[in-house]
Amino acid sequence: MKSSYIKSIMILALVAFCDKALAQEIVELPLSKSNKVVIELMFRNGSICDPQGKEGLTALTASVVAQGGTGTMSASDIKDKIYPWAADYHGSSDKEVSIFTFEVPADFLQDFYPIVSGLILNPSFKEEDFSRVKSNHQNYVDQLIRQSSDEEYGKKFLEDMLFRGTNYQHMVSGTSEGVRSITLEDVKKHYSTFFTRNNLSIGIAGKYPEGFAQKMKADFQKLPAGTPPVPAPGKAKMPEGINVEIVAKENALGSAISAGFPLSITRSNDEFAALMVANSWLGEHRKSYSRLYQKIREARSMNYGDYTYIEWYDNGGSNMLPPYGTPRSSNYFSIWIRPVQTAKGLKDQYEELKHINIGHAHFALRMTLKEMDELIKNGMNQDEFEKTREFLRSYSKLYIQSLDKQLGFLMDSRFYGRKDWIKELDALLAKLTLNDVNTAIRKHWQTKNLNVVIITDKSEAEPLAQSLKNNSPSPMSYSNDLKSTLPAEILNEDKLVESYPMPVKQVNIIDSESTFRKSGMSDSKGVLKIQK
Amino acid sequence: MFLLACIFASSAICFGHSDAESAEKILPYPIHQKKMANGLNVVTVPFDSPGLAAFYIVVRAGSRDEIEPGKSGFAHFFEHMMFRGTEKYPNDKYSEILKSTGASANANTSLDRTLYHMTGSSDKLEIMFDLESDRFMNLKYSVQDFKTEAGAVKGEYTKNSANPYTVLYEKVLETAFDKHTYKHTTMGFFEDIVDMPNQYDYSIEFFKRFYRPEYSTVIVVGDVTPEQVNALSEKYFSKWEPGTYKTVVEAEPEQKGTRYTHLKRQGFPPYLQLNYKGPAFSDKEIDMPALDVLNSILFSEKSDLYKKLVLNEQKCRFVGGGAQDSRDPFLIMLRSSLKKTDDLQYVKDEMVAALEKAKTTPVDPQVLKDTKMHLKYSFAMHIDNPTAIAESLSAYTWLTGDPESLNRLYAMYDKVTAEDLMMVAKKYFVPEKLTIATISPNDSESIK
Repeated sequence: MKSSYIKSIMILALVAFCDKALAQEIVELPLSKSNKVVIELMFRNGSICDPQGKEGLTALTASVVAQGGTGTMSASDIKDKIYPWAADYHGSSDKEVSIFTFEVPADFLQDFYPIVSGLILNPSFKEEDFSRVKSNHQNYVDQLIRQSSDEEYGKKFLEDMLFRGTNYQHMVSGTSEGVRSITLEDVKKHYSTFFTRNNLSIGIAGKYPEGFAQKMKADFQKLPAGTPPVPAPGKAKMPEGINVEIVAKENALGSAISAGFPLSITRSNDEFAALMVANSWLGEHRKSYSRLYQKIREARSMNYGDYTYIEWYDNGGSNMLPPYGTPRSSNYFSIWIRPVQTAKGLKDQYEELKHINIGHAHFALRMTLKEMDELIKNGMNQDEFEKTREFLRSYSKLYIQSLDKQLGFLMDSRFYGRKDWIKELDALLAKLTLNDVNTAIRKHWQTKNLNVVIITDKSEAEPLAQSLKNNSPSPMSYSNDLKSTLPAEILNEDKLVESYPMPVKQVNIIDSESTFRKSGMSDSKGVLKIQK
Repeated sequence: MFLLACIFASSAICFGHSDAESAEKILPYPIHQKKMANGLNVVTVPFDSPGLAAFYIVVRAGSRDEIEPGKSGFAHFFEHMMFRGTEKYPNDKYSEILKSTGASANANTSLDRTLYHMTGSSDKLEIMFDLESDRFMNLKYSVQDFKTEAGAVKGEYTKNSANPYTVLYEKVLETAFDKHTYKHTTMGFFEDIVDMPNQYDYSIEFFKRFYRPEYSTVIVVGDVTPEQVNALSEKYFSKWEPGTYKTVVEAEPEQKGTRYTHLKRQGFPPYLQLNYKGPAFSDKEIDMPALDVLNSILFSEKSDLYKKLVLNEQKCRFVGGGAQDSRDPFLIMLRSSLKKTDDLQYVKDEMVAALEKAKTTPVDPQVLKDTKMHLKYSFAMHIDNPTAIAESLSAYTWLTGDPESLNRLYAMYDKVTAEDLMMVAKKYFVPEKLTIATISPNDSESIK
């Protein structure tokens, strides 16, 4: 980790990223009939800019700025001032961008704007604001990530596994040791170095007066000069074989599964549209008609849903439609199998399952890989292609229903070197052929090299690890009641799935308490058991 | 076909600085309503969103209506079953047609209602009517479908259970309520969920009871006209037969003392939740509007308490909460996430002190005015697309049966006085109606 990071810093003068960040590019979306104004300030930095040992610094810096005061107003003063208007704002970071979003009724734009410019141009950086915000970040990386959603936990840990040894590995929020080591001086210095007028894009939408955008552009010229030394984004290394990390925790009712491998294309590539069609057919987010959902949830009721992704989908547990604000140039394909039952849970529920050794995780993984293999081998057919493409041509328009989303997707478009991704996507989809999609599937998807994370109960970890390591058959364990109603077609398919070849190269069992403690996985104390 | 490229929603809400308390309706678009002969209410709100429409159906049945023992969680389970198809459109056909609409579609269930929603191309509106009317009138599923879907519900419970707040919420309801069906969450008791596969016959009864026109409201918002929506409603829903069932929910006896519940959780921040018994939602009585105003004054980020505990003393990470709108009296939930377990008593005392002060000290007139303005602008900022408007209308439809309650509630906010705030503080924030819930690493907490 350390060596690659230093290498990245050394070659930063050569990387092209700052060239792509057009200094103070303005995206305007004037809507005279709107009753509000949305402002988005996007800085091209992100957690890839966190120094080693201070993981979380960029996110904490954005939060301290947004949750602090201005040169003339404290955080408390601001809350008083904007309360009647119901104005709102927040700052957040992702891997490669930090974004400040402001929303205010058009009636109060002129009164609100000094707060916008004051927070960004003259943040107060008070010790009390810093300590409050840092404490919350610390709480997230120390406790909440492990204790709030096993699914979100698994996704973050999959990124840790995929990008191990790179600046993309650590959570945007940082690591326990990283956040702990950050001082107010670090934040101030990071802000002046990485939040400059040369890596800022400005977006404004809604009902704002003529000339307002230009005034903003002129005002933000007062940000520090200088080109931020943004390192090249880390790339995931293609795993060799199937590698599994089982994170064992107390009292987990289910096994939450995430899996993935690197992907070389993003929205920047026209080919991405072809892969969107394949992905939608296989595992469109929260859609009942995709293949994995039909097979795992609908036919077998193993869990709440099963989806696939060809780019990061922030907060997938809450968002029904793709969010904006997390554009990335290092990409990966991922599978999200929502929590399935553990052996302990099934034994408690059904007398007839007292003998089982593992729950449903191994079977669910096999089923997923079998479906993917068949898609890669056979491709989609013309009918599936046409229907899925038409779905996406309508559905993608729904991504931008509200004003903030319209602006957000436009801003993200610029990150990918596009003008308006939603419009361009439609044009790309319109000219796609079935062959384009099947070619993209074969080119970008495979199932032999895969990283897998399973968050599960301590009681499940060891037997599951053995089953995976030994490529043991993993028969589906239904209750007698359910099994008696299932058609032969499903039970016969189960027979094929339970022994479907899934050669696992390595399985590690990891103590939940050791995850996200510090950068890299050098903390061997966390690895409870290594299976080779 | 697909949506027009330009779906830039617009809204023309404009409160002047001085007329924030005017009697104008909060929703600046007319709500067209037509009650069909079978009792189905059809609501249309035309909105400037070229090519786009939100199609919602509210069924006024939720976990409140699960009155038989052993049947908790059934309204939610039934919501799942509604996706299992009919003779005309079996599951796979339904999915295929739904996919062809390119819509964002789903459903969810809560205390008092079940909500089915689709947002998509307005030129697919007839397909939406066809699909929805068919399953609402002709749902048909096999025993196998039924038993299989029960596993998905268990999967939903399983994923939710990872969150300590969800676990505590279950405990709060079970502790605070003795008789009323609000005693169980919408997910239901886990033992009832495990037993769901055995309840096929009850599911048929449930459908007959509640999936009836008199329990339902169709809401369409967007690039549509009332004439178009009413005509489609007549075409597709007029044969829907009304039923006769009425839920009789046992009233909750008056609570006569403070109750306690606790969740031991290592590695999780200490948490305090004060749960006072509140009123049912009403757009005619002043109590709920007054509580909304009071809770914003006492517990929003602008409040003195928030500034003291979160910004200045930094003993808490978060302070907030309020009354949940519901058909029957539910809870006013006041929450705080703390840094130290040792401060649980202190934070509880501070929250109660703020409530006690509110009983006797009239609120500053400017703060009252600012809060009313805040509530109105919060709403106005939110409704810039058909989905958001349909969501809001749905909420008031399930509460009172009439979406105009939205406008009436915001008109009520204008009428709230400083005396009303003291009145509701005295009436609801009393220790006899309180359930104290905590999370900490300890086996128990002894909060006084």
